[in-house]
Amino acid sequence: MNKTANNPIILEMKGIGKSFPGVIALDGVNLSIREGEVHALLGENGAGKSTLIKILAGAYPKDQGEIIFQGQSVDIKSPYHAQQLGISTIYQEFNLARHLTVPENIFLGHLPQKGLLVDWDTAKARSQEILTRLGVSLQLDVPCDTLSVAEQQLVEIAKALTRETRVLIMDEPSAVLGDKDMEKLFQIVRSLTARGISIIYISHRLSEVFEIADRVTVFKDGRLVGSKDVSDVTMDSLVKMMVGRDLQDIYPKKHAKIGKVLLDIKGLNRPKVLHNISLQVRAGEIVGLAGMRGAGRTELLRAIFGADSYEGTMTLDGKPFNPTSPKDAIDQKVALVTEDRKAEGLLLQQSVKFNTTISGLKEFCTRWIINRQKEVDHVQQMVKKLRIKTPGINNLVVGMSGGNQQKVIIARFLGARVLLLDEPTRGIDVGSKNEIYQVMVDLAEQGLAVLMVSSELPEVLGMSDRVLVMHEGHIAKELSRAEASEESIMKYATGSHLES
Amino acid sequence: MTNQNKQMKDVMSQIMAIPAIGPLMALLLASIFFATQTDRFLSGSNLSLVVQQVMVVGTLAIGQTLIILTSGIDLSCGMVMALSSIMMTSLAVDYGVNPFLAIIIGLVISALFGLLNGALVTMIRLPPFIVTLGTYSIAFAVIRIYTTQTITNLPDVMTFFGKTFTIGSTAITYGSVLMVILFLIAWFVLSSTAGGRYLYAVGDNPEAARLAGISTTRLLISVYVISAVLYGIAGLLLTARTGVGDPQAGQNSNLESITAVVLGGTSLFGGRGNIMGTLVGALIVGVFRNGLQLMGVESIYQVLITGILVIVAVSIDQLSHR
Repeated sequence: MNKTANNPIILEMKGIGKSFPGVIALDGVNLSIREGEVHALLGENGAGKSTLIKILAGAYPKDQGEIIFQGQSVDIKSPYHAQQLGISTIYQEFNLARHLTVPENIFLGHLPQKGLLVDWDTAKARSQEILTRLGVSLQLDVPCDTLSVAEQQLVEIAKALTRETRVLIMDEPSAVLGDKDMEKLFQIVRSLTARGISIIYISHRLSEVFEIADRVTVFKDGRLVGSKDVSDVTMDSLVKMMVGRDLQDIYPKKHAKIGKVLLDIKGLNRPKVLHNISLQVRAGEIVGLAGMRGAGRTELLRAIFGADSYEGTMTLDGKPFNPTSPKDAIDQKVALVTEDRKAEGLLLQQSVKFNTTISGLKEFCTRWIINRQKEVDHVQQMVKKLRIKTPGINNLVVGMSGGNQQKVIIARFLGARVLLLDEPTRGIDVGSKNEIYQVMVDLAEQGLAVLMVSSELPEVLGMSDRVLVMHEGHIAKELSRAEASEESIMKYATGSHLES
Repeated sequence: MTNQNKQMKDVMSQIMAIPAIGPLMALLLASIFFATQTDRFLSGSNLSLVVQQVMVVGTLAIGQTLIILTSGIDLSCGMVMALSSIMMTSLAVDYGVNPFLAIIIGLVISALFGLLNGALVTMIRLPPFIVTLGTYSIAFAVIRIYTTQTITNLPDVMTFFGKTFTIGSTAITYGSVLMVILFLIAWFVLSSTAGGRYLYAVGDNPEAARLAGISTTRLLISVYVISAVLYGIAGLLLTARTGVGDPQAGQNSNLESITAVVLGGTSLFGGRGNIMGTLVGALIVGVFRNGLQLMGVESIYQVLITGILVIVAVSIDQLSHR
C-alpha cells in the first residue's frame, strides 16, 4: 500500500512542452507530485527527465504548459526564483564552492550577518543544527574539497534545508555513492519526507526505486509513459515501460560476411573506470556497446584509441597493438569518432577540406608538401560518396548541420580498418542518421570492424551483429543479435541482473 | 533581393575571401592618404626606408605569428633577440670568435630559449603568457649580468644585412630582402605543408587535433624553437641595422610584434590568420610612423595613433565575424 496516496498534491505540471533546435525534448507532459512522497523518474538517456527537472529548477524556460505549485500557477524565471518558491535541486555535479568551508557553502548567498559583518557563530551553530537534524556529523571548518563525495552531497542537502524547501529534486544522487553511503542517503531521504518535503528522485538503478520511492514515473522520447504506485509495479513491468517502443524502419543493416578477428582485447584495465575488459571485433562485424551513461563505454573506446592510458594487451589483425597516443592508433588504421563533435572532433574554424584530410595528410604529401590536386580530388570524391551538403570544400564546417559535420568526420577516417564510433548519430536528424547507418553497413561489407557505443537502444538493436552490455566498468553480458532485445539490454545495463 | 544585388554580394564575398584583404586595404588607404599629404612619401627611397625600418619587428612577428596561431603568445621574443645580438657581437668582438660561428652560437642560444618555452608550455602545461613572461625577465637579466656595455667595432659579416644594393636609383637593404624571403618561406610552410596544417589544427582545438592523430607536444615544441631561431635572426638584423650590440634593445619588441600580428588579422585565440597579413600589419605600423614623421607629427603621437589603430583593427575583425 502507498502510505502517501492520500497526501495533497503540492506540485503539478500540465502539458509541459520544450523544444531545442531539431529536437522535441518534452511533449505534453503531465506530472503531479504529492506532499511528502518520494517520486522516482525513470527513462533512458535523452528521454526528457533532465529537461523536466531543469524547467522545474528554473534553468530552462518551458515552451508550453503550466506549473502549479502550492495551488498557485507559477512561472519559474530563474534558479534563484525556484529556490525562493521552495524548489531546490541537487545536480549530479555539485554546485559547491570547493575552497570555501562547510558553513560558507551551506549558507552560500545568505550568510547570517551582524551589521556589515558575517555572523560566523550563528552560521556555524545553524549549520550544526541542520546537520544534526539530518542525523550526520561533519567537520565544519574545512574546505569542501577535502570532504568525501558523500559528505559533499550532505552539504548540498543541508544547503537546500536552509531555505524553506518544499520540493527537493535529486538528480541521480546514488550515482556517486558506495553501498554504505547509499543506506545513509535513504535514511536522510526518509527523514525529509517525514517532515513533509517531497523528493523528486532520478535514478538509473531500478532496484533503488523499490527501496525508496512511493511512486514512479517513466519517460520515453520526451513523453510521459505513465505514473504508477511502486507497489503496483515489478522490475519487469518497469523495464517494459521504459523500452516498449516501435522500431522505426531506418536501419539498413544487412548481414555482412564476418571474417577473421581484427581487434582482440584481453584483460583491459583502467583504475576505477574499466575492469578486466576482454572482447573481439571481427572484420565485417558491427558490435554494439550498450550501457548507461558512466558505465565506461566512452572510456573503453578512448583506451583502445590510445587517448587514455590503460593496462592490458591488444592485438590488431594478429599483431601486437599497444597505442600510446591517438597518432599511434591512427597510424595503424584504428580510428575514433568522438561523441562530442564540436569539442573533440571538428576543427571548427577550418574548411571541409582541412577537416577531411587532417588525419591522413601524409597520403597526399610528397616530403611534407601537400599535393593540392590530389587532396582536392579526394575530398570531392568523399563529399559525393557521403553526400556531404556544402557549397564548396573550402567552406568552413562551423555552419554545417550536425549530420553533415558528422559525415565530414567519418570521411576523415574512411581509410581505417577498425572504426570506433561513440554515439555516431547523437543530435542528428533522422534522414542523416539513415545515411550514416548506410555508410556503416557499406564499410562493414568492405571488411572493416566497427565498435559502436550507443545509448539509443533501437540503434544498438538495429545496427549490431552482436551487443556487449557494460555496467560499472565491466562487460556485464554479451548478447547475440537474436538474444538482444531492449529488455535484455536494460536488464544488464541497469545492473538488475545482479539483484535478482 | 534583386539579381544585381546578389551579383554585387557575390563579388564582395569573393573579394573578402582573399587572405589578409582587410589589412591590405588599410595599408593601401594609409599609403594613399600619406601620398596626398607629402610628396616625399611615395619616393622609392622612402618606401625602401619603411621596409628597412620594419625588418626587425617584421622578422620577430613571423615567429610571433606562428606561436599565436597555436593560440599561444610570446612575450620573450624581444629579449631573446637582444640576447642573441649581444652574444653574437660579444663573442666576435671580445673573444675573437669567427663571426660566422658567433652568429650560429647566437642562433643556438635563441633556440634553447625556444626549447625552454616550448617544454614548459607542453610538459608542465603552463600558459604561454606566464612562461614567456618569466623567460622575458630571465633573458633580460642574463643580458644585464653579462654586460651593460654597448658592443662596437663589429666585423663586416655582422653588418652585411644593413648594407644596401641599388635598383635604378633606389637603395634596398639586404636585410629587407631577407625578411621578405623569410615571410615567403613561412607562408609556404603554413599553406602547403602538413606541418603548417597541423599548426592551425592545434591552434584551433588542441584536443581535437590530438584525437585527429597529431603529436601536439612535438608540434608545439618545434614551433617555439623555430620561432626563437627567427628571433635570433631578428637579432642579427638588429645588429646589422644599428651597427652595434645593444644590451638595451628589444624591451618593447614583444608588444610591437604582437601589434603587427593583430593588425594583420590573426586571431589571438589561435587557428585563424595569415602570415602575409602579419607582413602587411608590420608595414601598416611602418607606414604610419614614417608618414606621420614626414608630416612633422611628434613621435609620441605616432605611438598614440598606433594604439588607436590596433583597437580599431581588432574591432572591425570582431564585428565582421559575428
